[in-house]
Amino acid sequence: MKPPPFEYHRPETLDEALAIMAEHGDQAMPLAGGQSLIPLLAMRLVRPGRIVDLSRVGELQQVSVAEGRVSIGAMARQRDIEHDPRMPGLVRVAVPHIGHFQIRNRGTVGGSLSHMDPAAEWPAIALALDAVMVAASVRGRRDITADAFMIGPQMTSLEPEELLVEVVLPMRTEGFGFAEVTRRGLGDFALAGAACQDKAVVVFGVGLRPQRLRVVEDFLNRGGGTRAEISAVAASEIQATDAIHTSSHYRRVVAAALVGAVIEESQARGGVA
Amino acid sequence: MTVNGSRWSGDVPARQTLCDFLRDELELTGTHVGCEQGACGACTILGDGEAVRSCLMLAVQADGMELTTIEGMGEPGNLSTLQAAFLRHRAFQCGFCTPGFLASAAEILGSGRRYSRRELRDMLSGNVCRCTGYEPIVEAVFECQR
Ligand SMILES: Cc1cc2nc3c(=O)[nH]c(=O)nc-3n(C[C@H](O)[C@H](O)[C@H](O)COP(=O)(O)OP(=O)(O)OC[C@H]3O[C@@H](n4cnc5c(N)ncnc54)[C@H](O)[C@@H]3O)c2cc1C
Ligand code: FES
Ligand code: FES
Repeated sequence: MKPPPFEYHRPETLDEALAIMAEHGDQAMPLAGGQSLIPLLAMRLVRPGRIVDLSRVGELQQVSVAEGRVSIGAMARQRDIEHDPRMPGLVRVAVPHIGHFQIRNRGTVGGSLSHMDPAAEWPAIALALDAVMVAASVRGRRDITADAFMIGPQMTSLEPEELLVEVVLPMRTEGFGFAEVTRRGLGDFALAGAACQDKAVVVFGVGLRPQRLRVVEDFLNRGGGTRAEISAVAASEIQATDAIHTSSHYRRVVAAALVGAVIEESQARGGVA
Repeated sequence: MTVNGSRWSGDVPARQTLCDFLRDELELTGTHVGCEQGACGACTILGDGEAVRSCLMLAVQADGMELTTIEGMGEPGNLSTLQAAFLRHRAFQCGFCTPGFLASAAEILGSGRRYSRRELRDMLSGNVCRCTGYEPIVEAVFECQR
């Protein structure tokens, strides 16, 4: 068998899950959709002593809408979110780009955010929408801003005994834009991408984590310019690194062009940029 | 769990993946294993009617689920409509990818929606075929939508 041995827990409630996390701390790993964790186990890149399967924790699967905000439970599947008309526009256009539908049938919102792949769509969505991540442990709950949550590849500011329990997004149905470049259309991870909500602009798949483009945002706030001018400002601000398939130069140039495109798209959708 | 209509209950090692369980324990070797990291689609089966990667699930996660593998879709002399269409269109050569394509296509057809060839091409892109060039596969699924 490829995965290393581990103790398997399948709590039925959040309290039970948090108690296991508290007791076993950094040698326990939560299992959500498994679409990233199972390969890591099979390749033995991680060797947790315990796996805490969250699939039966009903509290984590809730989605609710109140006061202009959408709260998505960490265990909500991409598949369900994709077809949920209550979602913000940016979520609806970006989620179908996550893997193939077979992956979205199992993969979860919380898993995707916690895994923090720099090329993943969810961290970029969260950063563009100024999402609030709600973390819980036996000691209580705390809110984490999207920016403070994401540190780098597979690194978040969650403590070892904490679980991400929900993500809270503003309900915005206009003024968003999203674009990514992949090797084969839908399904593959982005080689570079951009997302925006009004004047909040994010690039992803270019560096070690998604980047908010504050200089571009200032430029837009001061009146903006042509698509080419916006892309030029983006190109000088984007911090790109080299990756397996792409050079940092390629990522910067492509992401900057996408920034121009998504801002134009958001304006066409009634954005205030 | 229920596998191809038969109930199965028992203990599995927690670390055993679902594809290994199906192949090694139940001897359902029609579920093929390629990349074992979710990319190729060869191991795709139906779990509660949805196409899922059996290499990306632990067997223990299928507790309570209803699974359908290629062995449950039809048999020689009694092929499913989709299998017959694959045969008519020569939608396979070596056949390694076929069980996975049939599972993905089963969910697509089960939606009852009619997709264009272009949409089907995108939807079927989660399964890799090294032989056919995809044209006959897309045609076979397209035809079954009628
Ligand atoms: C072929 C393929 C293509 C893919 N393409 C894309 C793509 O284009 N874009 C994209 O964004 N993703 C893509 N993915 C990744 C996919 O979206 C994963 O499902 C996702 O990254 C992880 O979500 P999961 O629910 O499967 O989590 P898991 O794999 O179960 O967990 C991932 C990590 O998060 C931790 N974790 C899970 N839940 C919590 C929680 N509530 N609190 C704290 N930690 C938690 C786990 O311990 C683990 O470390 C792809 C995957 C595959 C196999
Ligand atoms: S073997 Fe499961 S997707 Fe390739
Ligand atoms: S028929 Fe050989 S891989 Fe598809």
